Amino acid sequence: MTDTTASRLQTATRLTINEDWLSVLIGPLVFGLALASLGNVDLLGWAATTKVWTDPSHALAPFAPSYGALSGLAALFATYLALLLVLSAAAAALKADVRRFALTFSVTFWLAYASWILGSYAHLAAVTPADFSKYGISWSLRLTNEGGYIIALLLGLIIANFFPRFAAWLNEAIRPELYIKIAIVILGGVIAVTAAGKLNLASTVFLRGIAAIIEAYLIYWAVIYFIARKYFGFSREWAAPLASGISICGVAAAIATGGAIRARPQVAVLVSSLVVVFAVIEVLILPFLAQTFLAHEPLVAASWIGLSVKTDGAAVAAGGITEALILTKNAAEGINYQPGWILGTTATIKVFIDLFIGIWAFILAHIWTTYINVAKPSSRAKLVEIYQRFPKFILGFILTFIIGLSLALSLGKAQAAQLTAAIGEANIFRVTFFILTFFSIGVLSNFRKLWEDGLGKLAAVYVVSLFGFVIWVGLAISWLFFHGIKPPLAG
Amino acid sequence: MADTDLRKEIQEQQAEPLLPIEKKLIVGSLLTGVVLLAVLVVVNLFLGS
Repeated sequence: MTDTTASRLQTATRLTINEDWLSVLIGPLVFGLALASLGNVDLLGWAATTKVWTDPSHALAPFAPSYGALSGLAALFATYLALLLVLSAAAAALKADVRRFALTFSVTFWLAYASWILGSYAHLAAVTPADFSKYGISWSLRLTNEGGYIIALLLGLIIANFFPRFAAWLNEAIRPELYIKIAIVILGGVIAVTAAGKLNLASTVFLRGIAAIIEAYLIYWAVIYFIARKYFGFSREWAAPLASGISICGVAAAIATGGAIRARPQVAVLVSSLVVVFAVIEVLILPFLAQTFLAHEPLVAASWIGLSVKTDGAAVAAGGITEALILTKNAAEGINYQPGWILGTTATIKVFIDLFIGIWAFILAHIWTTYINVAKPSSRAKLVEIYQRFPKFILGFILTFIIGLSLALSLGKAQAAQLTAAIGEANIFRVTFFILTFFSIGVLSNFRKLWEDGLGKLAAVYVVSLFGFVIWVGLAISWLFFHGIKPPLAG
Repeated sequence: MADTDLRKEIQEQQAEPLLPIEKKLIVGSLLTGVVLLAVLVVVNLFLGS
């Protein structure tokens, strides 16, 4: 992780307008513009969508048929310009160097999107015999078009590890937390419309989200803190952010805990960079394990990914890949599950875990300032810290969820099709923010730098906790609560 | 703080014994977590039946 990223993480909790609040503005903005099509005003139909291709000129197209006159490349350019405009305004609000952001974002966008297009190449993405026949191919890696996320991640990793000066130059636009939070806010509306079709199943998923909270905070945290303190000899200042980073949700939790126990900012920053690197490894491995072993228990797989992969971005993105892989495997066996449930379950589990970061940080702050590093009464933990450390993007998620659910439950059949199309437009941008997230996570993951920082000992705690404990307990609890619950069938 | 200082600090940390309040936090969290999970499992079975 570069110094500028480090300093950005350190100041993230101090700024009034931060990436959290920006996601609360931008996510509903995208969602609202997409919903305008309910009033027959299609404001986002020009957004570019990617199809599986053998001829690159057929890879891109505008989302809505009403914008059919637009070429695929023009649609992509329009998508780029719209994001450039909105995100440059966001960079200005963050008091970043806007010109530099615009330049580096442009490079980031085109590299990331090129990876996505490459991921839709038929030899990588085609899955079914019908696809093989349609595209006139005899073999494919069957990664689905979501394999583009993996390519974006790998490209980012190559840049980070082999072209570190280029990675440092890109830094202004490498904002995975901003991109994923906007994506999750948009996803709130998408999940709501999916959930409206099966409210019983949706409420079941929500109830089981509570189990995820208990597991992450009360079980994972306690065990990892104990391992770090007892067996690896870490001080309290290092062990607490490390336990939060590994057990709760990565970067945000490590920073919140670091602040809560009054640790030096460098501690949370170093732990955060470790979490990001491990999240990359998990994203590259766990979805494929889930496809291999849990394809017939799709929601167990979804919950397991949400509980095992740390950082919101990596977890939700891994949920997207897992969904594509599992739906594909089931489709090959003649079972066609409705899309959205696996990704929705992973995202819900993650949001439930995020909800309690503020409360957990307050509990730790109270214990540390009252019993461990006893502070003056004026410096002790205050209830307002719960609000201060609450991840505000969740407000945006709740907002789009409520709007989406209300619309889905109140509209007639004729307008339901329009709502589905509108959600599809919003989803195009959700996907684009996912792509940017994957690429950004890759660019932040400089394995060599991490090793040079002497984080081998921290990494050892992570390896022991993750592979010896977190993924197994996560699997057991996911199985306990989601075993036998299946997503609805498509159609 | 320079990277080299942090590296040195991580590798040369003196062990800090677990304080009683830390032990309480660890044991209390685990016990509460296991009990709440058991309650949820029962609720889950009840809802499923």
